[in-house]
Order: sequence, then structure tokens, then C-alpha cells
Amino acid sequence: MIAQPQTATNPILEVRNLSRRFGGLWALRDVSFSVSEGQIVGVIGQNGAGKTTLINVITGHLRPTSGQVLIGGQDVTGQHPWVIAHDQVARTFQIVKPFRGVTVRENVAIGAMHGNYHDRTVRDALATADELLALVGIEKHAHDAPSQLSVADARRLELAKALASRPKLLFLDEVMAGLRSAEIATAVELIHRLRDSGITIVAVEHVMKAIVSISDLILVLHHGSTLAMGPPAQILSDERVIEAYLGHRYKRAPTS
Amino acid sequence: MSVSSPAGALAAILQGRKRTGREIVVDWARSRTLANSWPALAGLAVVALLLGLQQLIEPGTMRLLSAVFMFVALAQAWNIIGGYTGYASFGQVVFFGLGAYVTAVLMNNYHVSFWVAMPAAIFGGVLFAVLIGVPLLRLRGHYFAIATLGAAEGAREVINNMTPITGGGLGITIPTFGDQAPTAYFGKPGFYVAFLILAAASIAISAVLARSRFGYAMVAVHEDEAAASSVGINTTIVKVIAFGVSGAIVACAGAFYAFQQIEFYPTDVFDPSFTVLMVIMVVIGGSGSIVGPLAGAVGLELLSQFLRVNLGIYNQLIFGAIIVVVVIFFPQGVVNFFRDVLTTRRFSLLENVRRYRL
Amino acid sequence: MTQFAQAAAYGVVQGGLLALVAVGFSLVWGIMNVINLSHGAFAVMGAYIAWLLNQHFGLDPFLAIPIVAVAMFAFGYVVQRGLINLVVNAPIFLTLLLTFGLSLVILNILQLLFTADDRTIDTSYASQSFVIGTVNVPYGRLGAFFLAIVITFALAALMTRTRLGHAIGATGMDRGAARLMGIRARHIYAVTFGIATALAGVAGTMIATVGSFNPTTTPGQLTLDAFVISVLGGLGNMYGALVGGLLLGIAESIGGLLLTGTWVNAIAMAVLIVTLIIRPSGLIGKAQYGGRVEV
Repeated sequence: MIAQPQTATNPILEVRNLSRRFGGLWALRDVSFSVSEGQIVGVIGQNGAGKTTLINVITGHLRPTSGQVLIGGQDVTGQHPWVIAHDQVARTFQIVKPFRGVTVRENVAIGAMHGNYHDRTVRDALATADELLALVGIEKHAHDAPSQLSVADARRLELAKALASRPKLLFLDEVMAGLRSAEIATAVELIHRLRDSGITIVAVEHVMKAIVSISDLILVLHHGSTLAMGPPAQILSDERVIEAYLGHRYKRAPTS
Repeated sequence: MSVSSPAGALAAILQGRKRTGREIVVDWARSRTLANSWPALAGLAVVALLLGLQQLIEPGTMRLLSAVFMFVALAQAWNIIGGYTGYASFGQVVFFGLGAYVTAVLMNNYHVSFWVAMPAAIFGGVLFAVLIGVPLLRLRGHYFAIATLGAAEGAREVINNMTPITGGGLGITIPTFGDQAPTAYFGKPGFYVAFLILAAASIAISAVLARSRFGYAMVAVHEDEAAASSVGINTTIVKVIAFGVSGAIVACAGAFYAFQQIEFYPTDVFDPSFTVLMVIMVVIGGSGSIVGPLAGAVGLELLSQFLRVNLGIYNQLIFGAIIVVVVIFFPQGVVNFFRDVLTTRRFSLLENVRRYRL
Repeated sequence: MTQFAQAAAYGVVQGGLLALVAVGFSLVWGIMNVINLSHGAFAVMGAYIAWLLNQHFGLDPFLAIPIVAVAMFAFGYVVQRGLINLVVNAPIFLTLLLTFGLSLVILNILQLLFTADDRTIDTSYASQSFVIGTVNVPYGRLGAFFLAIVITFALAALMTRTRLGHAIGATGMDRGAARLMGIRARHIYAVTFGIATALAGVAGTMIATVGSFNPTTTPGQLTLDAFVISVLGGLGNMYGALVGGLLLGIAESIGGLLLTGTWVNAIAMAVLIVTLIIRPSGLIGKAQYGGRVEV
């Protein structure tokens, strides 16, 4: 029942039988899927379904109990986060993690000077930071402390930091949570632009309207296992997904 | 929000900048203005001045200044691992003792020149830093502090028990007379210059590190290791290097100290109060900057000598009281406090006291 | 073999005493996340109080214990409320420095008042021994050991069965939540610190009875022992402190028999470091309060 589009022989991300246990609890159980370059894949599921754990395992912050993660065809299972970052993978954190003692600008510069194709001098990194801040729209806060940012702006900083390490694969962890309608629209536009410049995106989300409008594919996690994967229309009308997560309102009006 | 930049701009950023080494050097040279060079120039001027003064000052003052220079170096060294990187080591004295003993053992047992023994001591310091750093730097906060303290105490005990090599509890002596001496004793002027150069070097190293990519990596590791590792910083390497650089400077200080003292016991050079002094100087001055530890070291060492001379038996008591007062009233460091006063134009000690309280 | 048995017996009773020294230290660390470097100084303060009472009034040290406990509790409460409280939210090295400075002040005052001479409290019975076979245990030490056990169990009971104990535990686990439920955190912290200080004072009294003490070397050794035992037993874990103390006592005693010089100390340090690396939450117990790793 898991519909996979025709993928290229070398998907940018491949997850095979990934499992992660915490004591007696299986946070991830035998999860398998692949993502092609240039796709935007949405990941949905209840709280506790394993979405953030999935990101943590793929990006190296957690070791899987079993299974494999392949990026660009190479096995990176269990590698340190910085090794995976240097495979051009970046992520945002659900609860944003700015570097507090330095300015917004320096926050982004840190990513630019240590990531892929990193800037070799601090000045170059700061210049890159300025460009990225303009891209996400917080350039006026460049010299502020991160603590002074609003929630929406803090999320943008988090995104800019992730982009600064020049990824080809980007994981977004609930970036829309708590945003107002207009802010969500802007974020959706930004994500499309990210994809247009060549970044593959995997976005964990709860905000259905956003996820439906950005995703090529949606992966549904339920109690740590893959429940379904496929194009949005298919997922929204899948009985099991409706049962487990969406509720019947979505069956009637899929794009409210 | 301005979302007008086209996807092409991002694509360009994603490809990274291509720079040759030569371009980088030229760019740096061109960016030097008086505004950003004056600290380095001022520093050089001060060092030159102090070197010149050597002829004019009396031996007692020379000895005092040598001690001040040594602590300036020690404070800068601690600041690298404890201030910037955020791993507060309570056992840094272990490098001091190791540096001292490597120097003394090489010079005494093997008649090696000081100019060979000292680099060996530094190398030993770095080696030891890597050895204990890799396991210990996985610990955080309190645990790291205690583990390093334990390492220092343990090292002292080990040296204490290696009597055939180190003289154990009976102490060790560096030969300084006639042809027994592998290197002529420096004398007060010599050590004055030696410690001055060490202090200057430690400040220079700190300054270069702080403004470099590595400096930002240290700060990132300090603030949030998970976020740092996500953007590609190898947190383990950063910690170990910071620890190693810190250890190297402290070991060098230990080497000079050993030669200066000529004769010492394990308890002298593994004395935990060295670590405490290092920490206090950085805290009082203000961690995370160059000036803070510098001011802390100079101020505190001069104060300490003054107390010792003038207050005799009460000096430790007053010293303890001062520590308590400073920690309460200036938890972010005296220099940082006054810096904040200048920027926010608000002088409130009471606010400071309330900052960390429950 | 008799030497071995003697060393073991000695190690056990010594261990009980060490546990008493450590249990307060572990409590404060586990609940308040404060490493009190003046813990050893508090113990020595208690020793001096008992010594003074004995010198001037002939009071038996075991009878002096309640007085010492009350006096030190009051002292600890005030010190926490007025001083330590000010840096409870600060980065670690600030609390370490503050307590270090405090210990310098306390110990130097003690030294000025009483000189650095070794002191001890002589009792008629302390040196007489209880004999089993070839092993003899001085009554003083035996008494101290039993007292230590009783106090540890009493403290554990306090923590688990009384309202105060629950309040302390709750504050230790989640201060914010505890406050939201009406627990006066500042008061609870002060009470916790007071209890720990009282225990330190009592331990000091016992040490004075079974051996000697001074204001220069004793405090540091006691604080270091408290460290090792707290790590071994798990922070805030009363029974863990007891077991840790016994282990350390026996290890040091038998170690002293088998090894020359101060290798014993070196080994204690090695054990400390290895434990921190492998099981920071404690070798024996599960740390009650999560073996909190600092962020």
C-alpha cells in the first residue's frame, strides 16, 4: 500500500528498516522509505509517533537500534552529526537552538564558516550570513541578540542557520507551529523557493494545510511505523490515515 | 517580510565562495585599519616598555612582576577551555605540575638543556591533554570539573609515588651550579623576560583564536553542542584542541616555574590553589574576553602579594572574603560589569546581586 | 589473614563514618545542584563545637550531638538563605568559587581562634575495644558507625515518608513545578542545606571522637571523600551514600594494607574518574535526581 513514485537509482535519502528503541518503547519500528532529489516530502503523525526521533536518527543525533540510513547512496548509519552535516544534510530543531552569546548575524555565520564549501574567513562568513538573513527576511535584526526575536523570526533564524551550512537535503522540524495564517503562507513560499534552488526537503509538520500545499509525497507515521506514503490526495483519502490521525472532517474537505 | 530574492541567489550561496590562500591574505592586509589594529599595536608597545623597564626596576619588583606575568598566562590559558569553550576545568594545575616535573626530571636525571626540556614539557602537556581530554570532555558541567580535579589529585599521587624517577615526596632539584647545570640559571632578569614573553604569547594566542573560525566554534560548542554539531562542527576535536592549547600554555608556565624554583615537591606544583587562582582571576575579570582575565590576573596577583606582605596571617581570610564578595556582586566579572555599565548607562550593583538568585 | 579481617572490620566502621560525612553533601548536590566545597569546613566546625563543649563542660561528645546538630542547622539555613541562594541559578564555577571562598573564611577564622594544632576529644570508653576473635573494634568507632547507619535510615525515611521530605524531593526534581504547587522553594533549599550542614557537623563530632582533626588538612580530605562517595552512590541517594561510604572505607583500608604509600589515593581518584565516565548516575544506586547532566 505504500506508493512510491519511480525513483532514480540513487535516491538522495534512503531509510531501510530503521528502528529505535528507548527501553521498552519502540519510537521507530522498521521504517523504510526513500526520497528523490528535488522532492519535498511531508511527514505527519500524532505526537509521539516518532517524527522527531526519525530526524534525530537520520542526522546522527541518535543511534538507531537497527536499520540503515543512506545518503546519496552512502551508508551513514550511526555517524556523528557533523559527519552527516558534511554530507550536505541540515536540519532545524523543533525548539529553536540559537547560539545565545553572539548576534543573529554571527549565528548564521557560524554555520557558513563550518558547513559544506565553508567560507574560509570570518568576514566571508559574515557576508554570507547577511545574504541569508535577507533571504529569510530578518536582515533588520542582524545585530540583535537571538533572545530578542519573535517566535516567527526565531524560526527564520533557525532556517538561515541550517541553510548556511549549504545543504542539499534539509529537514524541517515543525517550522510552522504557532505561526499565523499570513506567516504560514510566506513560509510555504520560502520552502518552494528552497526547492527551486536545488534543495531536497523533508518537513515534519502538524499544520495540514501547509503540508498539503508543499509536499510531493506525504509519509504518515503511526506509533513509530510507516502507516502510508504517497501523494497528498491519496493520503488524505486513505481510511487508515483518517482513522489514525486526520479525523473525518478531512475526508469531506481536504484543503480547508 | 521581503521574499524578493530569487531562488538563483540562494543557489549561488549554496555553491560556496571560491577563495585562494593568496586572496585571503591580501584581503586581510587590506582590511587592517587603525581602528582594528590598535589593540595589537598597544600590546606590542606595552611589551616593549616592560622589556625596557627591566634595567630600571629592583629585584623585588621584578620577582613580583614575574609572578604577575605567570598568572596572566595561566588565566588566559584557563579562559580558553573554561571561558570560551565552557568546560570549566578544576584540575588545570595538572599541566603545571606535569610541565614542572618533565622539565625537572629531564634536566636532573638526563642533564638535558632547558631549551630541550621546555618544549618536551609542552609536548607532554598536549599529549596528556589529548589522553584525558577524549574521555573526560564527554562529561559536562560539574562532572567535568570534578573529573579534572580528580585527575590532578591522582597525577600528584602518582608522581609522589614514582620516587626513583621524580624523587617522590622528597622533592626534586634542578642542578644549577657549575658544569652540573645543563643550562645556566636565568636569574631574576632572565625569568622576568621569560614569563613576560609567555604572557604576551598567551594573550596573542587567545586573541588570534577568539577572532578565528575556531573561536566561533568554541563559542558554539559552549552554547549548544547539538546545534553546533548540526552545522558541521566536530565538537570533539574543538574541545580537545582547546584543552590541548590551554594545557600547553600551562605546561610551559610550569616548566619556567620549575627552573625558577630549582627545588620543589609534588604538593607545590600540583597545588589545587593554582587552579582556584586561575578560575578566580578569570571570573573576577570576566570570562570570554581577553581583557577580563588579564585584568583579573594582574589585579588579583598584585592584591594577593599586597595582602601577604601587609596583613600577614589574615591574608587568606581576607582573600576568601574578597572571593565571596566578588562572586556575589560581580558574577559576570568586573570588566564585563563595567563594560555593560558603559553600554546601558545603568549602574546597579543590586541588580547584579539579584541576577542569579532564586 | 587476621590482618585482613582487621582491615576489613576497620574499613566497614570507617566507611560508615565516611558515609555520614558524604550524605549531606550528596543531598545538597542532588537537590540543589550545588557542590558545596565548604562541606569539610562545616564538619570541622561541628568538631570544634563539640570539642569546646567537652573542654569547658565535660560534655560527652555523643550527648553533644543534638546541640551541634541544632547549631549547625541554624548556621546552614542562614548561610544558604543569605549567601548560596544568590548564586543558585549561576553557572557552576560560580557556586564552586563561592563555597571555596566561604571555606577559606571559615577555616582561617577557626585557625586564628584555635591554631592549626591537631585536636581530639578524649573519652574514657572510646579507646576500649569490642573484640571478636582476633579483630578488635574500638567502642568509639563502633558507636559512630551505628549512629551513621541510624541517621542514614532516618534521613531516608524523612525523605520518603514526611511532607517535608516530599517537598524537598519535588523541589529537587522540578523547582518550577514545585513552586507552582505552593512549595516555598527558597525555604526548602535552606532547610535542605541546613540538614546537610547539621549532618556535616555531627560527622565532624564523631571524627573528633575517634581520631583527630585540624583546620588545615582535615576539611579538604573530607570534602574530597564526600565527592567520591557521592559520585559512587548517586547524587541525592541516601542509601547510595551509605554503600559508597562503606566501599570507600573498605577499599582504603585494605588498599592501605596491600599497597605502599599513597597509591590508595591515586586509585580512589582513578575509580572516581572511571565511574564518572561510565556511569555518572552512580555505580551503585540509580541517582535519585537524574544524575543531572548540566546544560
